[in-house]
Amino acid sequence: MKFPLLVSQLLNGLATGMLYALMGIGLSIITGVLNIPNFAHGALFALGAYLLYTVIQLVGNFWLALLLAPLGVGLLGILIELGGIRPLYKAGHDYQLLLTFGLSLIVTEGIIIVWSPVGMSQLPPPILRGGVDLGITFYPKYRLFVAVAAALLVLGAWLFLEKTRYGAIMRAGIEDKEMVSLLGIDIHRLFTTAFALGCVLAGVAGALTAPIRGLNPLMGVDMLGIAFVVVALAGQGNLLGAIVAGVVVGLAQSLVALYWPEASVAVIFAVMAAVLLVRPQGLFGIR
Amino acid sequence: MSGFKTTRTWLAVFAAVVLLPVFVRHAIATEIWIFAIFGLGLNLLLGYTGLLSFGQATFFGSAGYVAGYLLKHYEVGVPPVLAVGIAVGALTAAVVGYLCVQRAGLYFIMLTFALNQMFYFTAYQWTSVTGGEDGMPGVPRPNVVGLDIHRPLAYYALVAVLFLVALWVMKRIVESPLGKILQAIRDNELRAEALGYEVARMKLAAFVIGGAFSGLAGVLYAMLFGIVPLEAIGFVFSGNVVFATLIGGSGSLYGPVIGSFVFIWLSESVSAMWARWPLLLGVAFVIVVLFFRGGVVEAWARFWAWRARRASDGVAVDVPR
Amino acid sequence: MSALSRRDVLKLVGAGTGLGFPAVLRAQAREVPMLGLWSFTGAFSDVGPVLDRGMKMALDERGMKIQGKAIKYITRDDETKAGSATRRAEEAVDAEGVKYIIGPWSSGVALAVSEVAKRKKVFHYFSGGTEDISGARCHRYSFQWAASPYTAAKTVVDTFMQANPKAKRWHLLVADYAFGWSVEKYIKEVGKTHGIEFVGADRHPLGEREFSNYVTKAAGNKPDVVAMINFGLDAVTGAREIFNFGLTPKIPLIMTWSAGVEELVQLAPEIRENIWVGSNFYYTADTPVAREFVKSYQAKFGGPPGYAPAASYGMTRMMLHAMDKAKSTEVPDVIKACEGLEVEDLVGKMRVDPKTHQTLRPYFFMRCKKKDAMKNPMDFADIIATGSTPLPAEYAACKDIGSL
Repeated sequence: MKFPLLVSQLLNGLATGMLYALMGIGLSIITGVLNIPNFAHGALFALGAYLLYTVIQLVGNFWLALLLAPLGVGLLGILIELGGIRPLYKAGHDYQLLLTFGLSLIVTEGIIIVWSPVGMSQLPPPILRGGVDLGITFYPKYRLFVAVAAALLVLGAWLFLEKTRYGAIMRAGIEDKEMVSLLGIDIHRLFTTAFALGCVLAGVAGALTAPIRGLNPLMGVDMLGIAFVVVALAGQGNLLGAIVAGVVVGLAQSLVALYWPEASVAVIFAVMAAVLLVRPQGLFGIR
Repeated sequence: MSGFKTTRTWLAVFAAVVLLPVFVRHAIATEIWIFAIFGLGLNLLLGYTGLLSFGQATFFGSAGYVAGYLLKHYEVGVPPVLAVGIAVGALTAAVVGYLCVQRAGLYFIMLTFALNQMFYFTAYQWTSVTGGEDGMPGVPRPNVVGLDIHRPLAYYALVAVLFLVALWVMKRIVESPLGKILQAIRDNELRAEALGYEVARMKLAAFVIGGAFSGLAGVLYAMLFGIVPLEAIGFVFSGNVVFATLIGGSGSLYGPVIGSFVFIWLSESVSAMWARWPLLLGVAFVIVVLFFRGGVVEAWARFWAWRARRASDGVAVDVPR
Repeated sequence: MSALSRRDVLKLVGAGTGLGFPAVLRAQAREVPMLGLWSFTGAFSDVGPVLDRGMKMALDERGMKIQGKAIKYITRDDETKAGSATRRAEEAVDAEGVKYIIGPWSSGVALAVSEVAKRKKVFHYFSGGTEDISGARCHRYSFQWAASPYTAAKTVVDTFMQANPKAKRWHLLVADYAFGWSVEKYIKEVGKTHGIEFVGADRHPLGEREFSNYVTKAAGNKPDVVAMINFGLDAVTGAREIFNFGLTPKIPLIMTWSAGVEELVQLAPEIRENIWVGSNFYYTADTPVAREFVKSYQAKFGGPPGYAPAASYGMTRMMLHAMDKAKSTEVPDVIKACEGLEVEDLVGKMRVDPKTHQTLRPYFFMRCKKKDAMKNPMDFADIIATGSTPLPAEYAACKDIGSL
């Protein structure tokens, strides 16, 4: 195996892995704090990408779009939580699933109605176009940017949860909701914030992905599956684990693509099933 | 349910079975009962045991593929192929169930989903056997005990009879001691365990029975359109049967039956009218979840209860379920 | 309710419930019902509406009448799924009395529909590439409109090598299914005659979204040209990634079997530079029928037609030609007339091979324009050649097309 090829594949794995980690963290926060299966996570990812595209069309600035698009998704998240999820806290997972699945249909079809079903391209901002010669291999600038940006966002999320007071409240909410509400904290506001945060992370993942994969109404479908895999691997609510799990999945994909390309999609689920069987709480989970 | 109510419900079911092909194209009517059998299997897990299995298409699709293969290449007859389908459904459910029943909550759901995806991608890649994305076309419909079932109405009759049998069997199961235990597990698993029931084993039994029903439905589906499409083993099918059952009402034996009718009717009629029909489907889901959580069955019961209260001003009346 | 007859009301209700009233409402003898089976949801939801346009345009040219009978044109959503397509095609035949099916778009789904056509004995024309319909699964009721993948491969390789005689190192990126494998086989066959060295050939699963791994592998082989054998979103995503990693525009990328406009419109002009495209239709095709069609389409819809509307338009026209030749609208007559039908139509000289039901016709090869050479946002490419070498008899998998 040629060394430059291996290095490229590892870089690919790391870059896509960071994106997967971002998706995973968002979903992990939602499943951890609210304990609901959020089947709308993929559609929200797609929405982030489309909002980025539209903001760029309107104001021509990628960086502003990268800021506004996830906020837009977060805003939608707040509305969803207040209107749809709050009534379902006590309902079973089946109804939560039905709701979030219905929402994913609404969001996806909404994207088709507003933006048309035809796929589109979004070029990276001019300074991030082209590639760098890393000596060993040529690598696109934008992908390096995404890897770094995603890593920073993930780090930021982790710092928020580990080092800030509100983050501690959120982690406590993952651990023991009853205790948290007994301590006088507004549990409803916690849930809304957690859900919105998860949506923002999905939205930013989508926005970052748009220049790499282009835009397509169904772009969230495979991301949803991957997000679930990352969460299952990491263990519910375990955020450091989500980072590692995301990178593991990204690397697994790119290395398998080297030797057995036809299986590169299926391998993700095989890994997930294997881990869940052996360690149901995930690689790092404690529950 | 009292004897009178039971008879009345059975009469209603019979009437539905007899009258449906008058109003609805035979192939669609057949599909409704096949989906109802599928739903009955799922609801043993979902409604009666409290297990949200989001991968039932694994059993449905596997049975369909095996049956389709035997029908196409080995000219197996219908009764043996039905038996094989039921067995394949039960067997795959035993394997999947064994792996899943140790887990609970979200993990359980995710695991059923992941295992479903694995079966899906295996079917997708194994093109020499399953046809991959193209599916397995050319599945024949041989005669049953000398009777020709090629005509849509004849096949409908066969499926309708099998549905009635399946419904009766499921009724016996849920009213049996096993059914009661499953409901006890659903209501309070720890207590059931404390009472001495082997919860994991009971859950596995529910899986296997549910899988057997799904397998039967899968075989009938393969023969309905003469093709085993890839989506029959995919997560969309798994999701559809869950949604249909919830819409009908998972708290009742007949919920999946009603849900099957409503779901197929909704999908078919709306899709012919508007290309963006999944939007309306999504809206329907949201409405059901927020306002009609018990599904059609509960809405129906609430309506009758309201009518009874209004009609009699407090005097108790025997209201139909 | 005065203007609506009782029959109309029942039809409305039946259509509204979508469940289809049984034979009661079968079309009258004065009508010819035709089905356009298009994708409005699912992976190919972008082509459904434009496929509808093409067929409607061809039918409108005849005033929605053929041989004195009214044409009843209905559409159904196949959801890009074999099961749904089968069910809806059957519904159309049983409940609406459809005798002519055009579509679907996706090859996998088409095989299922072809089975329905055989079973229900209805006429079926299909525009995709799978070899099975005119090959291993051939039968009297289905016809194939697209050129044979062999024709495509030969046109692409011959023309490209003529323009780039020094580009001897090829890397192939192939979608992992039967169609991809056949085109790969033919490219290698034809490539041998040009002395091409295939430095690599990777297969990717259908629906792949993460092409970075394949692209770095391709780059590692240091090819003179990368040729992709895939379709739709796979092709678009692959092309985008090949550009992101800097392979194009330095080295050329060939999209061997492309829809043309539908795929190119999803890419930015910068991405398209140095892409060479093989397609079954491009709107600058220089035939009288194409020029007329493009003009009307542009006038009606504001932009040039892509492959999808051209295909549905072209297939409908072939079906109507066959009806003209047969002087009948009965399916067996039309089938017999279609076999051996020879017309100068949308893409030039078109002839239906009676032994395989494959339409023998030209395949186009284009080169994409640089951004500053584009006269308008839809001016993607120039046609540089066409080719019509048919599939050699030794490859033909259709040994006996059977009887009616």
